Amino acid sequence: MGESAILETKCLNLWYGQKHALIDISVRIPKNTVTALIGPSGCGKSTLLRCCNRMNDLIDSSRVTGEILFNGNDIHDPRADVYTIREKIGMVFQKPNPFPKSIYDNVAYGPRIHGVSEKKVLDRIVEDSLRGAALWDEVKDRLYEPALALSGGQQQRLCIARCLAVEPEVILMDEPCSALDPIATAKIEDLIIQIAREHTVVIVTHNMQQAARASEYTGFMYLGKLIEFDKTTRIFEDPAEELTENYITGRFG
Amino acid sequence: MVDKSHTELASLKTDVLEMGYLARDMLDRSLEALESRDVALAGSIEEDKKRISDQDHEIEQKCLRLIALYQPMAKDLRTIAASMKVITNLYRIGRYGKDIAIVVPDLADAPHVGNLVSIPHMGDLVGGMVTDALVAFEREDLAAIHDIVEREEAVDALRYSIFRECLTYMMEDPKNITRCTNYVMIARYLERCGDHACKIAEKVHYMVTGERIEIR
Repeated sequence: MGESAILETKCLNLWYGQKHALIDISVRIPKNTVTALIGPSGCGKSTLLRCCNRMNDLIDSSRVTGEILFNGNDIHDPRADVYTIREKIGMVFQKPNPFPKSIYDNVAYGPRIHGVSEKKVLDRIVEDSLRGAALWDEVKDRLYEPALALSGGQQQRLCIARCLAVEPEVILMDEPCSALDPIATAKIEDLIIQIAREHTVVIVTHNMQQAARASEYTGFMYLGKLIEFDKTTRIFEDPAEELTENYITGRFG
Repeated sequence: MVDKSHTELASLKTDVLEMGYLARDMLDRSLEALESRDVALAGSIEEDKKRISDQDHEIEQKCLRLIALYQPMAKDLRTIAASMKVITNLYRIGRYGKDIAIVVPDLADAPHVGNLVSIPHMGDLVGGMVTDALVAFEREDLAAIHDIVEREEAVDALRYSIFRECLTYMMEDPKNITRCTNYVMIARYLERCGDHACKIAEKVHYMVTGERIEIR
């Protein structure tokens, strides 16, 4: 793997109480690429994703060992500021979750809590972010309407715009298309590829065709372990591990 | 759904093999008709032309349908990709059988020159290559084709040897020219069939290992 890694885990283990949910995960996520995580339900993909910006801190029973390096720095370092980490490593969830505010306020929310108050600057950030999320043309005339009035696909792109507004380096996406119809899904996939020119995207998906279409690298997880990580073309054409082969060809169990 | 796709994939392989054995049979019977100067047998091969052409179309359609319906991955995808290529090679082999059968009536009125030179031997070698490539496809095992390069070299050498031998017969007696020119053409067809067997072997290698190789 030639590209430099922006995110890297070293012997990462995670427990939810007694349950050993992630086992010795060592992976390097290359910068400005799309990396997909695939695997059956409960294999730990979302857990791994949530580890990357310390979302698992919110679960009391969780315990982590090993390292997660973001640009070479351990995100669990006591000196590390979790809010800065989450600013630089944003997240988009399965179901679109816009705030019950206007479209404009949704996108401006992050910059505002980071101290941007000048209207002109906010206007520019909102426009840039909405353009970046391929939503600007559809909403530019109704920026002050409630975000919840948008369609599901538009709401999800709004969430991506909200994420882009604070200029993250990495965007984690947890099944961002599973609640969307095929057309909205195709738009989000195009968007993911476009965003990855300047950001690193890690996406958890159950849809293997989506992983094959949208990502450059794919990791296959099973029972808390990362079984295989390689170029997506390799994983889907000629995986090295039999377990991966069995999963992607549907010969599981 | 998954079981259904795997059943259909197995049936696709059976179809490819069936087409393969028809192609091999067309080639075998054309050589038998040539050797025994049996015009009726040669005529029967013409009838298989449409059958092999239909199989080619049906299998191609089946491959495309499998891809569209099931979005296969990894070895399943490689099997379908290999099948789509292999049927083209098989179709060509069957067609060469037909091309050989076409000249049989022209050669049936007199005994063969030089005992048909080395054409029967060459036919056996090429037929063996085709069969073994199909065996490897069926078993998904490369053992049957491990020496296909050497066999292809032997076939190439035979073609050249047939060419030179035919030249001597033609120089001896110009009456042999028509007959020997046909022998040279048939040797060329057989050599091409050997090449197609190698191409099938390449695809089987890809199907089994995921690695693309080139056999000459």
